[in-house]
Amino acid sequence: MKRLALLALVALAASCARYEDNDLVLITRYSAKQTCSCLFVMKRDRAFCDAWARESPDVKTVSVDLAKKEVETQAGVLWGAKARFVDARRGCVLD
Amino acid sequence: MRAAVLGVLLLVACSGEARAECRARTPPTAGFVRRTEEIARNYPDRVRALEERMFTLTGEDEERIGVRTDAVLVVHQGALLYERYARGYDRTNPHLAWSVTKTITSLLTGRAVAEGALGLDDSVCRFVPEVADGKCAITVRHLLTMSSGLDWDEGYEGGERQASSVVAMLVGQGRRDMAAFVLGHDFAAAPGTAFRYSTGDTTALARVLEVAMRPTGGLDWDFRTLFEPLGLSSMTFERDAGGWLVGGAYSFATPEDWARLGLFMLDDGCWAGTRLLPEGWMRDATTPSAPFRAKRFADDLTFPLEEGYSIWINRTVPGVRDTRPLPSVPEDAFVALGHWNQLVVVIPSLDLVVVRAGDDRDETALDVDGFVRSAITLTGTP
Repeated sequence: MKRLALLALVALAASCARYEDNDLVLITRYSAKQTCSCLFVMKRDRAFCDAWARESPDVKTVSVDLAKKEVETQAGVLWGAKARFVDARRGCVLD
Repeated sequence: MRAAVLGVLLLVACSGEARAECRARTPPTAGFVRRTEEIARNYPDRVRALEERMFTLTGEDEERIGVRTDAVLVVHQGALLYERYARGYDRTNPHLAWSVTKTITSLLTGRAVAEGALGLDDSVCRFVPEVADGKCAITVRHLLTMSSGLDWDEGYEGGERQASSVVAMLVGQGRRDMAAFVLGHDFAAAPGTAFRYSTGDTTALARVLEVAMRPTGGLDWDFRTLFEPLGLSSMTFERDAGGWLVGGAYSFATPEDWARLGLFMLDDGCWAGTRLLPEGWMRDATTPSAPFRAKRFADDLTFPLEEGYSIWINRTVPGVRDTRPLPSVPEDAFVALGHWNQLVVVIPSLDLVVVRAGDDRDETALDVDGFVRSAITLTGTP
């Protein structure tokens, strides 16, 4: 129920916003990018990075592929994002 | 052979590089001379006062309140007086610089000017021709002094995300080509007439630099022209999805590498006796810009210091402000400042660089003036 109310709020906010992406899209992308940089550039551990990249409302799930150095985030069934580590000089980039 | 050597020497002697005097300092490219134990022994009370101020955590970590320091370094006369890490960081962890990145992009601009790749009064359209004609009035100087005039909302956490231009650029519709997104905004003022703090302006500047520098410097021009000569081995400079430098944010380096950058600025853009920035660049970079003096958008009055070339300056400005932002700190101090209170403070008159990496989600929690004052006491100043 809470999640439904949140989605309704997001839809309402999106209808009068300056830019096109809603909060959930922005949060999933932000978290994917920040978590990727935290793990693979800053070289911190997963527990630290989860806390460091947390955004409110915290409605996402985070999946990390350590071998591919990729981070995927998901909020509900509609919104997801992926960030990947390029190299030590270029860090992470959002797909 | 001897004639050739003489010719080269003559050429160097006649060039601007030879005219400009660089300070004779052995640069800490490989590592700083350490005086940390001596300072701890000589000034235990001062070290304790600094640590109580900077490393005392408040509440639970998940509450994200109070001063949350990750590192403090104090470099005096080129030697490391103090170094401490916290919250799980050590000297090997690169730290997110947030808008300290803008100052780095400003220094890269100086390198591009030194190499003759661009001039400050060049139009943005010389480098980004796909920009709409109306935007050709924007120059490199306007981007460097955040006076493009573009209508930009620099809001972060706590505001409406969908109203924030910087959020839209970094993770929203602008993320694939950030500079194009920035330059697609309408004007709120004529270029060069008003200061508005804008990550977008610096990101557009980074695109200009890339286009100007790639032909001679290649894809790694930023490393070849600045980061490698300074020995910034931990530097990461992230890019957008199109492969272009973000420039306005998203660089990472160890606090020790931030200290090297501070020392480079303190030494007027010289390193190992070689001038890398044009003569007078740091003077101009730390002088309040004409647009800043002329007009500031209302929302920029909350920023505590004024800008030169994306560098915050601790000066009074007639007609704008009659007290220094950091009243306990010498007037010649300047600061590279990033979100969550990342700080590289340079005080030429004291030959001092103070670095602080942090995670202050409440940026008002830190008394920057008190922190710098406390760091200064480690130099022996009462």
